Amino acid sequence: MTLRWLKPEFRKHGAAALLSNDASMGIAPPEDAPVKSPRGYWRWGERRGGGVSILIEQRAVWVNSGLIIVLMLACTAYLSLGSVILDPRDVVKALAGQGDIMTGFMVQELRLPRLVAACLTGGAFALAGILMQTLARNRLATPGIIGIDNGATAFAVASVVGMSVSLAPSAMALTGAVTAAVLTFGLAAGSGTQGYRFIVAGIGVGAVFGAITQLLLARVAIDTANAAYPWTVGSLNARSGGSVQLLGIGLALGFVAALTLARSLTVLRFSEATASGLGVNTSARRIQILLLSVALTALAVAVAGPVGMVGLIGPEIARALSTPRHVPVVAATLAGALVMVLSDLAGRTLLAPIELPVGIVTAIIGGPWLLWILMRPQRSHA
Amino acid sequence: MKVALIPQRLEQRTLLALLLTALVAVSVVSLLVGAGTVSPSQAFSMLLGSEDSEAHFVVWELRAPRTLIGIAVGMALGVSGALLQAVARNPLAEPGLLGVSAGAAFAVALALVLGASAATLRISVAQLGALVGCLCVLGVARWRGVDNDPIRLVLAGAAFSALLGAMTSMMLLFDQRSADEVRFWVIGSLAGRRLEDLWAVLPSMAFCTVLIALIARPLSALALGERMASGLGHHPQLIRALVVLCVALLVGAATAIAGPIIFVGLVVPFIARAFAGPDIRRTLWFCLPIGPLIILTADIISRVVVAPSELPLGVLTALCGAPVLIAAVRARRLPML
Repeated sequence: MTLRWLKPEFRKHGAAALLSNDASMGIAPPEDAPVKSPRGYWRWGERRGGGVSILIEQRAVWVNSGLIIVLMLACTAYLSLGSVILDPRDVVKALAGQGDIMTGFMVQELRLPRLVAACLTGGAFALAGILMQTLARNRLATPGIIGIDNGATAFAVASVVGMSVSLAPSAMALTGAVTAAVLTFGLAAGSGTQGYRFIVAGIGVGAVFGAITQLLLARVAIDTANAAYPWTVGSLNARSGGSVQLLGIGLALGFVAALTLARSLTVLRFSEATASGLGVNTSARRIQILLLSVALTALAVAVAGPVGMVGLIGPEIARALSTPRHVPVVAATLAGALVMVLSDLAGRTLLAPIELPVGIVTAIIGGPWLLWILMRPQRSHA
Repeated sequence: MKVALIPQRLEQRTLLALLLTALVAVSVVSLLVGAGTVSPSQAFSMLLGSEDSEAHFVVWELRAPRTLIGIAVGMALGVSGALLQAVARNPLAEPGLLGVSAGAAFAVALALVLGASAATLRISVAQLGALVGCLCVLGVARWRGVDNDPIRLVLAGAAFSALLGAMTSMMLLFDQRSADEVRFWVIGSLAGRRLEDLWAVLPSMAFCTVLIALIARPLSALALGERMASGLGHHPQLIRALVVLCVALLVGAATAIAGPIIFVGLVVPFIARAFAGPDIRRTLWFCLPIGPLIILTADIISRVVVAPSELPLGVLTALCGAPVLIAAVRARRLPML
C-alpha cells in the first residue's frame, strides 16, 4: 500500500465507518462521480452524491452463508440420525407439522429441543470465546480455559444441590461466572492479560472451582451426584426448559450487542494507544465486552455444563475462514453452533447405545488442537 | 569433602528434626481422628492399653494402613515433584500438571476396561502410563523448543491432562463395572486402601530411593547448565533419563494406590525450597517429611469436615495447591531452576 494509492481513496471515502463486522459504512463526498468500492467489498446504497452507502465484505458474506448452509445440513442430519433413523424428507414434513404422528413426536418433542439447545449453547460459547480472546488479545483466553466455566458450574451445582427452582441454575451460574472472572482478572492484574501467566492464573482459579464442585457433589446422596455427573463434564441431557429459553433471549440480545461492539472489537486488537487514538473508549468497551462474554458463558453453562472447548474451536474455525480485517463475530457464532451440533450428533450416534456427553467429544477434538496451538514455535500468539 | 546427602547447616538440621517431630505428631492424630464413631479419647485409651475391640479394629485395621499409605504417597509425590522441577528447570513442573498422573490414571482405566483387576498389575500399568505421559509432554516440549518457557510447558501439560481425562471418562462410560471400581479412585483418596497395596509398591519405591541417592550429585550439577554438568564429568542425557524414570515409577506407584492427587508435587518442593535453598539434595531431604505432612493433614481434614462421610483428598489438595500455583505465577520473575 503506497501513499499515492491511499490518498485518493481516503479523500473519496471520507470517514469510513464500520457498521458491523461484515459491513462498513462510508460517507462519500458530494461532488464526486461514482466511487469504486474497495477490493473485496460490495457497495450497497447510494451510487453517487451525498448519501450514505454500506460496504459489505464479499468474503464475509460467502463465509457466513456457507456456514449457514452447512449448519442447516448438520441440523437435518441431527434430526434424522439417532436410535431410529428417519428419512430427511419425513423430517422436513414433520417439522412442518405433517406426516405421521410417531415421526412428528420424535422430531418435534425429542430431537428438536435438544437441537435448539445445542445450537444456542454452541453459539453462545463461541461468541463468548471470541469476545474474550479479542479483549485479552490472547488466543488462549477463552472463558473455558481461564476458569469462568468452572466458576459457573460450581455455583450452578450448588443451586442444583441446594434448591430446586428451575431458573436458579442460570442465576447462580451468572454469579459464579462473574466471581471467577473477577478473580482471574484481579489476580492477573499485575502481569496483564497477554502472556501465558494470565492463562495459568486462570487455570488455577478453574482448579479451585473444580474442586468446589467436587466438594459439593461429595456431600449429596449418590443418586443426585450420579445425575449431576454428566452435566459437570458438559452434556445436553440435563437441560431444563427454563434455562434454554433464558439462553435464547440472552444469545439474541448478546448477538446484537456484539454486532454493535464489532467495530470497537476490530480496533481493540491493536494496542491500547492505537485504539484510543482511533476514538474508542477502551475502558468502557472493555467492561462491556467482558460482561457480555461472562454473561453468555454463564447462561450457556446453565444449560449444558462446561463445554468450554467450543469457545476455543469455534473462533479458530471462524478466523481460519475469514480475512483478518474484522473480528469474525457472526462466523464464530455460526461455527460454534455447528461444532456443538456435530459433536453432540457424534456423541449420540457413534457409540450407540452408549451416549457420550458432548463435553467429552469436544475435549477430545479440542485437546490436540490446543496442544498444537501451544506447541507451535514461539511467535506472536494474539 | 563433605558427605553429600546430609543438610549441612545446623539450623537446617534442627528444622528437619522439627518437621520429623511434626510428622510423628500428625501421624498419631491421624490414628486418633476419623469420620466414624470411634472417638479420639477411645482411640487414645486403646493405644495406652485398654481393651476395646472396636477401637482396636478401627485404629489398627483402618487408620494405621491409611496413615502408612499417606506417608508413602506423600514422600513419593513430594520427591517426584522436586525431581521433575529440577530436571525440567521449571518451578511449575508438577507431575499432576504435566500429565504424568493423568497418564497413569488413563493407563489404569484402560487396563480395567480391558479386564484386568489384580493389584500388582495395576501398579506396573500405572507406572508405565506415567512414564509415557511424562515422556510425551517433556519430549514434545523439547522437540518443539518450548521447554525453555516454564509457563507454556505447564499449559501444554494441562491440555494433555485434559485430553487424557476426557478419554478416561469416555472409556469408563463403556464399562459400568469398571466405572464403579474407578469412580472414587480417579478423584484421589486414601480411604479404604489396603496394606497389600503398599507392600506391592514398596520394591519400586526402594529402587527409586537407591537411584535418587546415586543421581543426586549429578543432578545438582545439572542445575548449573548442561555444559557445566558435562564439564564436571556427568552425562546430562543419562541423568535426565534416570530422573524421568524415577518420577514415573514414584508417581505411578502413588497414583496406583491413591489415585491422581494433583498439586502436591507443586506445593511440597515450593515449601522445601523455602527451607533448604537452591540445593536439590537439601530440597529432597526436606521433601521427605513435608510431603507426608501435607497429605496426612489434608487427609485428616477430609475425614473431619463432612463427617460422617468423607471428602476426596484430591479436592482438598487442589483447594490448597491452586493458590500456590497462582502465587508462583504472579511472582514478577519466575525463579529459574
